[in-house]
Amino acid sequence: MNPLARVLVAELSERPRHFGELVEAHMETAWRDFLLAWGEVRAADILGRDDDGRYLIRAGAVVS
Amino acid sequence: MSHGFREFLRALEDAGELLRVKKAVDPRHLSALMAQASQATFFEQIAGYPDWRVAGALVSTRRRLAIAMGCSEAAIATRFEESIRQPIEPTLVDRAPCQDVVLTGNDVDLTRVPIPMMHVKDGGPYISATLVVSKDPEYGRNVGSYRLMYRTPRETGIDLVSPSDMRVYYQRALDRGRPLEIAVAIGVHPFELLAASYKAPIDVDELAVAGGLHGAPVELVRCRTVDLEVPAHAELVLEGELLPIGWTADEGPFGEFSHITGEVKWNPIFRIRAITHRRDPIFYVLQMPWENDWLAAPVIEAAGLQALRVASVQPVAIRAPVGGCCYWTLVASIKKRPGEGKNALLALLSVAEVKLAIVTDDDIDIDDPDQLDWAMTFRVQADQDVLIVPGARGKHIDPSVRAAAMGKGGLPTTAKLGIDATIPEGIPRSHYERLRYFAKDAVRLEDYR
Repeated sequence: MNPLARVLVAELSERPRHFGELVEAHMETAWRDFLLAWGEVRAADILGRDDDGRYLIRAGAVVS
Repeated sequence: MSHGFREFLRALEDAGELLRVKKAVDPRHLSALMAQASQATFFEQIAGYPDWRVAGALVSTRRRLAIAMGCSEAAIATRFEESIRQPIEPTLVDRAPCQDVVLTGNDVDLTRVPIPMMHVKDGGPYISATLVVSKDPEYGRNVGSYRLMYRTPRETGIDLVSPSDMRVYYQRALDRGRPLEIAVAIGVHPFELLAASYKAPIDVDELAVAGGLHGAPVELVRCRTVDLEVPAHAELVLEGELLPIGWTADEGPFGEFSHITGEVKWNPIFRIRAITHRRDPIFYVLQMPWENDWLAAPVIEAAGLQALRVASVQPVAIRAPVGGCCYWTLVASIKKRPGEGKNALLALLSVAEVKLAIVTDDDIDIDDPDQLDWAMTFRVQADQDVLIVPGARGKHIDPSVRAAAMGKGGLPTTAKLGIDATIPEGIPRSHYERLRYFAKDAVRLEDYR
């Protein structure tokens, strides 16, 4: 995982967040770089969702 | 030849309805800026995407819908109704602008397209202005519009929850353990999007319906990696397949056409094999909810007109107002004979989507909310002129149907409401004669300034 993808995973491990909250926290990052990092998080198959649509790291998910 | 997306942009500009934004804009700010503009918007520079321009909020008003359809605002429903009765089959061409650039293999990368961030609670960036083409061995080609949520550079989610022909196609492919090939055209003329939202019978080609709206065949080109055809003049095409995984991947929330944030849904995944586009592509951001609403209006209004005619009621005007998302509400004025206020209500409420119908007489301008309120105040007795139909089919995204309480897979029902605001039988029309000012036509205010 690239460094930004790791940061995103760390933020989601802290608490569930809406995608928009993650975007807002990284507005200094170029949009394309953000989307590439998000794509890595998605591809890792570690995400879950809560009832309000927030992303979270699934219990027991292995982050490589 | 049918008109393309760029001809529509020119028509908007000629009508003074297109705002050009020259400074570079971050894709995360596109929707918020569009929401502040009173015109459609054209962004000439996109930060980080030097090859792309973006257009959006194109059909956000009835006036701009009328420009797209080449008719007056009042004639939208009849224009649509007449055109769909005269479909024109599409034609195939060998070369197409939408394939100026062809990206396959490792070059497939959605992050090179300026997909915007739209709403606060969206589950990701969304591609909203889609014309999705699919094919079934038995039923033939289908065209619909389905939102795509960015997942990875080669995958998106796709909302395939609601009943649709493509959902049937996907289920049939899934039953065989096969993926369903699809092609997604982005940046097409609104006629193609209108045809896509029209609920044609499963064996009717929506692109022939679009041809009827254009009055000329839609030019198609064969895709490069899937056995499908797409409009040749599209700005961007995504080719690929819906994976045979069923409804298992999280998708949403998204800002729905009901003006409310939806829920997380479970949907298939679209895997992209090829991206093709014009040499100088324009990405179309269909601004939710307004454009989705207005693109539904001709379809719902035409359905209302047809229902009234089947009921032998003579319509004068019909509107699907934006307050009802151009979908749930129909307001009609009619030339009434005794009993036809109620007949008209029954007809309008037979349109599956319609939850609220209001019928009034031909002396009321239904575009004027004050006149409509006046008619509902003085022509309605609630114990005689209000019709409630309980237990009709509802839609999940209407919070009042309490779909969440039903659990997964539950199908909600709704009550339908009809209001007969025509002059009641037995009351002379003269009782509704409006005030007129004495000597109104004899004097002019400007002569006294």
